Amino acid sequence: MSEWLLEARAVTRDYDGGRIQALRGVDLRIRAGEFVAISGPSGSGKSTLLQLLGGLDHATSGEILFKGRSFSNSFDFDAYRSRELGFVFQAFHLLPTLRAVENVQIPMFETGLNARQRREKAAALLEELGLAHRLNQHPNELSAGERQRVAIARSLANDPAVLLADEPTGNLDTGNSAKIMGLLADIQAKRNMTLIVVTHEQEVARGAHREVHIRDGRICE
Amino acid sequence: MSFFEIALRNILRRRLRTILTLGGVAVGIAAFVALVGFSRSFEHEWLRIYESAGIDIAVVQKTFIETSVDQSAAEKLRALPDVASAVPMILNMMDLTPEVNALVYGFPLDSADMSALTVLQGRRFREGAPEVMLGEVLADNLNKKVGDTLDIEGASFRVVGIFRGGSAFETGAAVLPIAELQKVADLGTKVTAFHVRLKPPAPGESADQHVRKARAEIEAALPGLKAVPAGERARNNQLVVLARSTAWGTSLIALLIGALGIANTMAMSVFERTKEIGVLRALGWRRWRVMKLILIEAAILGFVGGILGLIAGWFGLYILSLLPATANIAYASIPLAHATEALAIAVVIGIAAGFIPALRGARLSPVEALRYE
Repeated sequence: MSEWLLEARAVTRDYDGGRIQALRGVDLRIRAGEFVAISGPSGSGKSTLLQLLGGLDHATSGEILFKGRSFSNSFDFDAYRSRELGFVFQAFHLLPTLRAVENVQIPMFETGLNARQRREKAAALLEELGLAHRLNQHPNELSAGERQRVAIARSLANDPAVLLADEPTGNLDTGNSAKIMGLLADIQAKRNMTLIVVTHEQEVARGAHREVHIRDGRICE
Repeated sequence: MSFFEIALRNILRRRLRTILTLGGVAVGIAAFVALVGFSRSFEHEWLRIYESAGIDIAVVQKTFIETSVDQSAAEKLRALPDVASAVPMILNMMDLTPEVNALVYGFPLDSADMSALTVLQGRRFREGAPEVMLGEVLADNLNKKVGDTLDIEGASFRVVGIFRGGSAFETGAAVLPIAELQKVADLGTKVTAFHVRLKPPAPGESADQHVRKARAEIEAALPGLKAVPAGERARNNQLVVLARSTAWGTSLIALLIGALGIANTMAMSVFERTKEIGVLRALGWRRWRVMKLILIEAAILGFVGGILGLIAGWFGLYILSLLPATANIAYASIPLAHATEALAIAVVIGIAAGFIPALRGARLSPVEALRYE
């Protein structure tokens, strides 16, 4: 068993037939239970790296491993995303037709939970995040901070090993940003999860155990 | 929250578009229910002609409309062990006036076909006399009553009776003595068919076995002729086949339009929800689950459209049952089997129409879908 939970080995990601090189030979190792901030300016390749680690995209060359298993063609990316990962997006990406408690249930459809179990678990998660009174609100009835908390609850739905957050405070004001980062740090500590946060805000990156700085597709830690 | 609820909420998101799509499916299903239902009533009426006269088998040469069987075959038929009676009959389509074209039957006076007619006014015709009986609907259309005369192909016939037939067709037809019809239509000794009644089956023999055996017996004794059981005859009657083909053809066009409506709606819906589908995939939903969601949405559109179509189709049949021209054939009711069939068609059409959009949705790359604006 590898001591690393997630590894990127000499990973490159090109677009447009190689004209755009988003990542150029990235090596990164992350332990279980670590809180890592990937920082860098816009267009540096940090979100691309997060997408590759999250199995949403594929590297042009190099290798990514989760618990020592390579992201090869036989790797079950759907199971990886549903069972091992939780995603938090900058734009929240809640489904507008569903209430808060229903949005949280979405990842649980890939588990064996029945409707009642799904609802109870979703309600408990929202309660844990201070949204017990907002269970039945639709996303358009929630504030930006509340929406991000619903998204965080959704990311925890299947008790993942890793939480990937892509600019989680990008759409929030300063007060809400601090609250959300505090919440993520608490969750990471309480659950001993691996938390990887992509951010361009130094304030956010400072709260992490380790900051990985990326510039022009290369890591400069 | 169930998977079904997610699908339902997605459909209700664009209400006007959903209503228009349902309207398209409903029109298709209504056309199917009304037209195919009407053609089935038509077929049923043909069957009733045989049933009301207790006819088991019709013996014909080729098609029902062709009058080419020689009457002399009757003796050979009657001599067969399973045949109780074999009565010749003629069916012709004739212009009775420049405006009215009607079925004209030629029956022997003592036939079961004649016995099945209920005389409402006047009497039955006499053999050898230039006399005609009119079905009540035809008498109304021609504005004829007992005692009037009717010219058929240049010969003058006296209207001696008004009758109600065992089926709607007979009620809209004229009946002549068979020999008179042969004369006036210049048929010589030819007839359209022999209507055969069979003797009761032997103990232990089923009705089907009995009819099969009699068919083989008749066809062996009279090479070149076909013995067709009454039910099959009604189904394969040229007019029934034509009515059925027209009904199915028209319905299929209407159903196709409904299907295109669903396909368009689902394609638009998938297009609009590209980012959401990306989110679902990012959260670990497998391709088949995304596909299932879109297909369920399409199936719901088909099912609800089907229900609305059934209601509209019933209303169409109700209108047809009130119109004088179709009142005798159309019934304002939809048999359960036909309703089930219509709903199944609606759902299958929904799923088929949603298949390509569903496939497109399922194949979306999560990262590209999330980037989509």
